[in-house]
Amino acid sequence: MKFIQILTILLFLFPISSKANEANSWLKKEIDKIIYAYQNDDLPNENKFLMIEQTINNNFAGTGIAKFVAGKSWNGSSKDIKLEYIKLFKRHLALNIASMMQGYSNQNYELTNSSYDEKNKVTLIDMEVFSNTGSIQVTWRVKKSKERFFVIDLLVADISLVVTKRSEFNSMLKTVDYDLEEFNKKLSSQNDSSYQKLIK
Amino acid sequence: MNKLKLLLIYFTIIFVSFNVHAGASDDVKTNSEDFKTSIFEDEIYDPLEGINRAVFRFNNVADKMILEPAAKGYKKLPTPIQSGIGNFIKNLKLPLVAVNQLLQGQGKNAAESTGRFLVNSTIGIFGLIDVADDLGLDQKEEDFGQTLATWGVGDGFYVVLPLFGPSNLRDTSGMIMTMMTDPVNAYAANQGEAWVIPLKTAANAVDQRSKIIDEVNALRDNSIDYYAAVRSSYYQNRKAAIMNTNDDILTPLPLISIEFE
Repeated sequence: MKFIQILTILLFLFPISSKANEANSWLKKEIDKIIYAYQNDDLPNENKFLMIEQTINNNFAGTGIAKFVAGKSWNGSSKDIKLEYIKLFKRHLALNIASMMQGYSNQNYELTNSSYDEKNKVTLIDMEVFSNTGSIQVTWRVKKSKERFFVIDLLVADISLVVTKRSEFNSMLKTVDYDLEEFNKKLSSQNDSSYQKLIK
Repeated sequence: MNKLKLLLIYFTIIFVSFNVHAGASDDVKTNSEDFKTSIFEDEIYDPLEGINRAVFRFNNVADKMILEPAAKGYKKLPTPIQSGIGNFIKNLKLPLVAVNQLLQGQGKNAAESTGRFLVNSTIGIFGLIDVADDLGLDQKEEDFGQTLATWGVGDGFYVVLPLFGPSNLRDTSGMIMTMMTDPVNAYAANQGEAWVIPLKTAANAVDQRSKIIDEVNALRDNSIDYYAAVRSSYYQNRKAAIMNTNDDILTPLPLISIEFE
């Protein structure tokens, strides 16, 4: 009877742990791609960013995050404006992640823990980035769709990138009366400025 | 008979569990109106936003001109010196951390913090070496702001303090209480060595800032509204500190859909 009990528990837990492990290996591969781009001194900064942007666009749920972050301005906008916004947001997201990862590129990191949140169908992967005097914890929230993994949020020391962006965008959208078209101009100009800082 | 019943229950669990997992892989909502179903509060109570933004601009300039260069210089010090300074400052905070843990009913944590303080102040040479960490006595941070929150005191409005940065009414009160009750401050003032107080505050600021140089720069360089980004980050960080919960559990999960174009 005991054997059956143990077997049941193991069978019940196995799919959860295997989901987390699968996501873990995928994430490690993608992080290493970004770090490799930064550590490759032969590449000009512009090319480094293009490589990183491609990796981020392939692996982040950019459209979904863009919509979430746009908040209440999303519904009142036309399709073209929404598409323009999504394009700009994806670049904005890539610039944010690339800028953060640039700081981590010369540090060691370790994926320390991963778990599967059955209720929300999300895998949480903890990453510890080590510096000489301590470490910082980053948590990746990963969701699977059509047999592919996508990052839906990134938490650095308890602070969610997506929640912060939503709050930040909402504050700026308020100043343009939640007009996404006007906001796109501001976002585009911010992207240009961020890009210049990143590639210099 | 009982064994047979148990067996049936186990097989039912196995059957249900496999079905749940099989159906889970593609079960991603693609609702185009995600924001409507979100539970996020977009507005932080900030009635002094105009003044706060002005103070924030001042702080930002002060950070760029003084704190960031100091933190970068500090980072160039040999690692043992940086660790020593950081450990020493952390150790000085421990008596008040323990008091706040007691006030929040965290007896075990208070005992651990007291143990940390005793071990690090003696074996760890006045707190320069974190011996307690190796003994499994983890560092936990608690302050009066967190204690007040635990007692049910609300945030109050958001405020940006000159040089001290983002805060709110409750946390500012907590900070004043910390300054007034800090035994190190009291001792220094009693001995006529009050200059130690701002020095300790400045050293703490430089030590803390040195740990987040990349993160602050990434946020500053890439924010469309840096003020709002810092405000949101502050609230998320404090919320996690008050709840003493793992960030994965605490931070609400954004309802993000995955779409293929």
